Amino acid sequence: MTTPATTNTLTDRYVAAVLRHLPRSRRSGSQRSEDQRPDIDIERELRASIADAVDDRVEAGADRAEAEFAVLTELGDPARLAAGYADRPLQLIGPALYLDYTRLLTALLVTIVPAVAVAVGLVQGLRGAGALDLIGDTLGAALTTAAHLVCWTTLLFATIERVAGRVTGGAAGRRTPARRWTPDALPEPPTRRARYGELIIYTVAMVLFTTLILLSPVISTETDAHGVPIGVFAPWLWQTGFVYAFIALVTLNLAVAYAKHYARWSVPLAVAGTLVEIACPIALLWLAAGDRVLNPGFTQAAAWPQSATTWINTALIVVSALTIVFAVIDGIARATRR
Amino acid sequence: MAHSIVWHVHDDDELLATHLQELRRGTVVLACLLMLDRPDYGYALLDRLTRAGLAVDANTLYPLLRRLEKQGLVTSDWNTEESRPRKFYRTSDRGAALAAALSRDWDELDTVLRSLKGAS
Repeated sequence: MTTPATTNTLTDRYVAAVLRHLPRSRRSGSQRSEDQRPDIDIERELRASIADAVDDRVEAGADRAEAEFAVLTELGDPARLAAGYADRPLQLIGPALYLDYTRLLTALLVTIVPAVAVAVGLVQGLRGAGALDLIGDTLGAALTTAAHLVCWTTLLFATIERVAGRVTGGAAGRRTPARRWTPDALPEPPTRRARYGELIIYTVAMVLFTTLILLSPVISTETDAHGVPIGVFAPWLWQTGFVYAFIALVTLNLAVAYAKHYARWSVPLAVAGTLVEIACPIALLWLAAGDRVLNPGFTQAAAWPQSATTWINTALIVVSALTIVFAVIDGIARATRR
Repeated sequence: MAHSIVWHVHDDDELLATHLQELRRGTVVLACLLMLDRPDYGYALLDRLTRAGLAVDANTLYPLLRRLEKQGLVTSDWNTEESRPRKFYRTSDRGAALAAALSRDWDELDTVLRSLKGAS
């Protein structure tokens, strides 16, 4: 606020509250003139509008303070007015995305939560934990998993709501569609439902996969002499933090899958998407080639033959190589279809 | 019984208000574009709209004007000649074309509704 000498009137406080909810334009380095800086412009206009309305009421015989109070009351919550100016949605997830959101969330909850509960319950049971511990750990794991799923899925869709809204003309554009609708406007015309089903399956698989990797050091069929579980994957992955980088890549893959579903095809998106898609198999290929996937301690404890490790590594290399080839072919096919 | 009738009346009022709001929503844009044929600033336009019988909330109109400006349907100019600087909006050529198209649609709707009422 730039009101040094004057006292803080209600109007000053109201305008400040509106501006606080607006994106600020940079004060320096901007080529724009004063008039074109959105927040300055809004402030000047809003002040003039409020002053006009107050003057009108005063002329009609009202007390100035009462008039100001009434005018500001009519303008309503400053956050709401600012959302109108910034064309921001006043909802976390709008009607356009709501069904997709509930479908994905339901699918995740009914698959991942029981899977985690069963896994934890089974391992605790095998370890010979007491009934109370078993139930407590199982319920705890299920609740934590459910909370994570709800939190991240909601965050994902709230982000799509805000990012996609900016691209397609803002919140008002979605409330009252101004353009005439044609089927051409559909992001994925007739097979969209089917593709969304695929996306759900893919998401569930990825989340399940990530959960199992993260749980693998603590949930294992083999234990050492002290009863401590021996993870199936190489401890090297955790020591170097490689496993987290890998999971970050998996998450990025998921984000790309959603971007492909919701955003229009564009060259940068396609290139970035393909790069992300091949990053995972390349990492896996490199891991398998250097025999960094399986935990030697685990294979020994489980009495697996040495050839098993070789076969698993070979299979991972082949699958990774094929995935890379298919990702590139798919990327080219999508590009030529445009 | 009397109680339930009272509730019914109350519900009907609310229902009517909701549907009226829905029906009038789009007309604000058209009215603005038609009125801003003559340049005007926010509060004066609000006043003119109210006098014309198209009451609209200030907190709806002010953001709407900026949105129309962003869409290139109105242009704006700051008038700093008077003691209080005001931002004057004026319908652009694009806005006028849109208003013409909207008006045509309104007329067509009117015709359709009249024929519907005549047919029933």
